[in-house]
Amino acid sequence: MHYVIIGNGVAGITAAFTLRERDRHARITVISGESDYFISRTALMYAYMDRMNLRDLEPFERKAYDKQKIDRVRGWVRDLNADQRQIRLEDGRKIIYDRLLLAVGSAPNRFQWPGLNAAKDGVVHFVSLQHLAECEGLTPSTKRAVVVGGGLIGVELVECLVHHGVEVDFLVRESWYWPMALAKEEGELIANHIRRHGVKLHIEHEVNAVRADASGRVVSVSTNKGLDLPCQMLGICIGVRPAVDWLKPVTTPPEINRGIKVNQSFQTTLPDVFSAGDCAEFVRPDGSPLVEQIWYAAKRQGELAARAMLGDAVDYKPSLFYNSAKFFDIEYTTVGDVTRLPDDATSFLHRLPGDAVSIRVIERNGSVIGFNMLGSRWDHTWFERWIHERRSMEDVMQQLHLAQFDVEFGRVRLDGVRAAFAEYLKTGSRRAA
Amino acid sequence: MTKIGTTHWLLHDLKNRGITAWLLSGILTAFYLVLYFTEWLTPLAQGIGLDSKWTLYGLLYTVAVTLGGLWVIRKYRHNRYQVVRTSVVILIQATFAFSIPHLLKFLHQPEYYFSYLWPLKMDYLTPSYIFALPLPFIVYSFLGSALLVPIMAALFGKRWYCSWVCGCGGLANTFGEPWRHLSDKSSTSWRIEKITIYTVLGTSLLLTAMLFISWGAGKSNPELARFTTGFQSFYGLIVSSMLAGVVGVGLYPLGGTRLWCRFFCPMAALLGLVQKFGRYRITVKQNMCISCGMCSKYCEMGIDVRSYAQAGESFTRASCVGCGLCAEVCPRGVLRLENRSSRDPQEAILVQIQGVSASRPLI
Ligand SMILES: Cc1cc2nc3c(=O)[nH]c(=O)nc-3n(C[C@H](O)[C@H](O)[C@H](O)COP(=O)(O)OP(=O)(O)OC[C@H]3O[C@@H](n4cnc5c(N)ncnc54)[C@H](O)[C@@H]3O)c2cc1C
Ligand code: SF4
Repeated sequence: MHYVIIGNGVAGITAAFTLRERDRHARITVISGESDYFISRTALMYAYMDRMNLRDLEPFERKAYDKQKIDRVRGWVRDLNADQRQIRLEDGRKIIYDRLLLAVGSAPNRFQWPGLNAAKDGVVHFVSLQHLAECEGLTPSTKRAVVVGGGLIGVELVECLVHHGVEVDFLVRESWYWPMALAKEEGELIANHIRRHGVKLHIEHEVNAVRADASGRVVSVSTNKGLDLPCQMLGICIGVRPAVDWLKPVTTPPEINRGIKVNQSFQTTLPDVFSAGDCAEFVRPDGSPLVEQIWYAAKRQGELAARAMLGDAVDYKPSLFYNSAKFFDIEYTTVGDVTRLPDDATSFLHRLPGDAVSIRVIERNGSVIGFNMLGSRWDHTWFERWIHERRSMEDVMQQLHLAQFDVEFGRVRLDGVRAAFAEYLKTGSRRAA
Repeated sequence: MTKIGTTHWLLHDLKNRGITAWLLSGILTAFYLVLYFTEWLTPLAQGIGLDSKWTLYGLLYTVAVTLGGLWVIRKYRHNRYQVVRTSVVILIQATFAFSIPHLLKFLHQPEYYFSYLWPLKMDYLTPSYIFALPLPFIVYSFLGSALLVPIMAALFGKRWYCSWVCGCGGLANTFGEPWRHLSDKSSTSWRIEKITIYTVLGTSLLLTAMLFISWGAGKSNPELARFTTGFQSFYGLIVSSMLAGVVGVGLYPLGGTRLWCRFFCPMAALLGLVQKFGRYRITVKQNMCISCGMCSKYCEMGIDVRSYAQAGESFTRASCVGCGLCAEVCPRGVLRLENRSSRDPQEAILVQIQGVSASRPLI
């Protein structure tokens, strides 16, 4: 049996190790165009900021791959022929597979603003090792930069640039920072924090046009609100999409919508071809498409897809949504539903004085459905449990300390939060979220 | 990438085994060689009114811990564990490891360091040395090593000593902070560490046993007494001077700050063994690690923390000194130092919820 995995990200590598654990003898090959070894994409910013070396980004010792007999092939796959069970690499090498996993991850979105095509130099994304190298190459000749896109990758790129002393204009299209995940209050809290780090954050600004000089280096970006921002670097961080463009012209393409369409057992529409991670698109019970583009989902999908490839009956159900991040110094934990809430949801928000610490618990029909915590540490597994157990908000607020995960001596005091919650119950100020 | 500018180049070079790091390492090593093997520092010490080169060394050491410590407190001011821990380190260095021994000497008492215990300080269970001291010191020495050390380690892990009290750890965690990331994280170095540290521990136990035997039976057996004295000076030269001083501190800028603690210290070895069976552990939040590797990078003991964190395994490693820096640098708040006798209920939860074995290691 020859298992071939395209993509050595967390989904692909987790799949490879899971396959090996169960099948000691099969041949396992992992192919990637990006790097020889699995790297942690999530740590790109630490490499950029000189907190780590490139080598530190590798989560496993190199000898682990030899020990587990996982063959690594470096190169971009260009063709897939499911009838002949064959893939072809850019350099012409052909590989025959028995079962194939497409774990090709994401590619950055790009929008065709006027003038962007003429800017050959200075326009960057921040998703791959190659992007990191580009950013690093441009930084020494950059005094000012514009970063577009108010999400997580955007703020990470901004932090890196600020670290290198670059003046940054940060353009966010929405009416507060990251409405996808943060309510207005938290969005503003983060926005203030970002501004305190010297970043010029422009809310409700979109790019109008990009200008480059004769050599092709970007020189300025103009916005819909009439700002003209000089810059030597333009970071485009307006989200990612499944990296499937290469799959469309292949000999036998699988069915693709936004991502590669798979069933709950990770099977694509091609025989013995599976897909997992950022690039896989599931169908929700209500029929809507689901593409999960976070690390945790990719890791879990990689493991389960491997089991499906081994012949297990696998029925993938996305877990309750949770995520975490860090905006400069502010840590963030979220579980469940916190934005785009139904009208009958109510939400208790408390901001602790002084520090940028806030706590939000959301309830609907008498049970908690979401948590959004900034500036302190929480064990999300407690939140998951409370949501699954349909606990009431009163109950949860009483037990909140159980989920605290702050460092020793650094536990955030909850008396103020509880007092505010008592007030909130008394005044019946359960307002719509 | 390194920040632009000469200052940043210099800082990076100094912190990442560049030419200036080699230079500094040379200077530190030379200093220790001069200190241990010559009397060149004696006139200097006497010139500024100190009684010996050792007092001068103690003073320099205390200044290094204090200044480095203040800088560390500033750097991690948002983290109460680091602030409290570092303050204690400075305080203990300034009192138990410096002013109190000198005060004792001034009062015509033995120059005794309450913050050092056998087997780090071999003298304190060397019969010919310890039995010459007044009774309270003898009692403290014996009870300290026999009771205080293991009981505290069982309750709080070895950190109560290695990263809160000990002067070697104190210097590493203050003055040595810029080089903590240089420790080698490979599994090979872990294997080597287990061999070297238990060899030194074994040697120190053997030496102590022989010191007692020769103290009791040395008169009737001059051969044994001579051999033991030779063994003792050999241990003093190799372990206490070369490994703890010259290698331990001299190589800070090249090998990281805890070479001595990790590979050689018999006290750390002993505490680590107790720690393995005690309450201390690092709790890993389930399924929240993004494998970024900051925790491993900044572990001064060379523990590949990430390998546990990404597998969702709470763990106790004998070498962990509990400095808490992994928890500090983790951008996702995955790690927490804890002293708990029972397993955390959270570890069972996720398995129930997702039907996925959450704590299975990836490899
Ligand atoms: C800067 C940044 C920060 C992030 N931070 C977080 C975070 O904090 N938390 C979080 O949950 N998520 C985060 N994410 C998202 C997370 O990294 C992804 O969800 C995760 O990496 C997806 O893993 P994957 O294995 O599906 O794909 P990827 O990691 O994208 O791996 C896919 C691999 O396939 C290779 N490949 C693609 N096409 C081909 C081809 N044709 N031939 C050969 N190889 C190919 C690619 O080069 C790549 O190496 C972040 C992403 C970025 C970019
Ligand atoms: S620092 Fe935190 S998120 Fe990063 S690898 Fe370590 S435990 Fe995981």
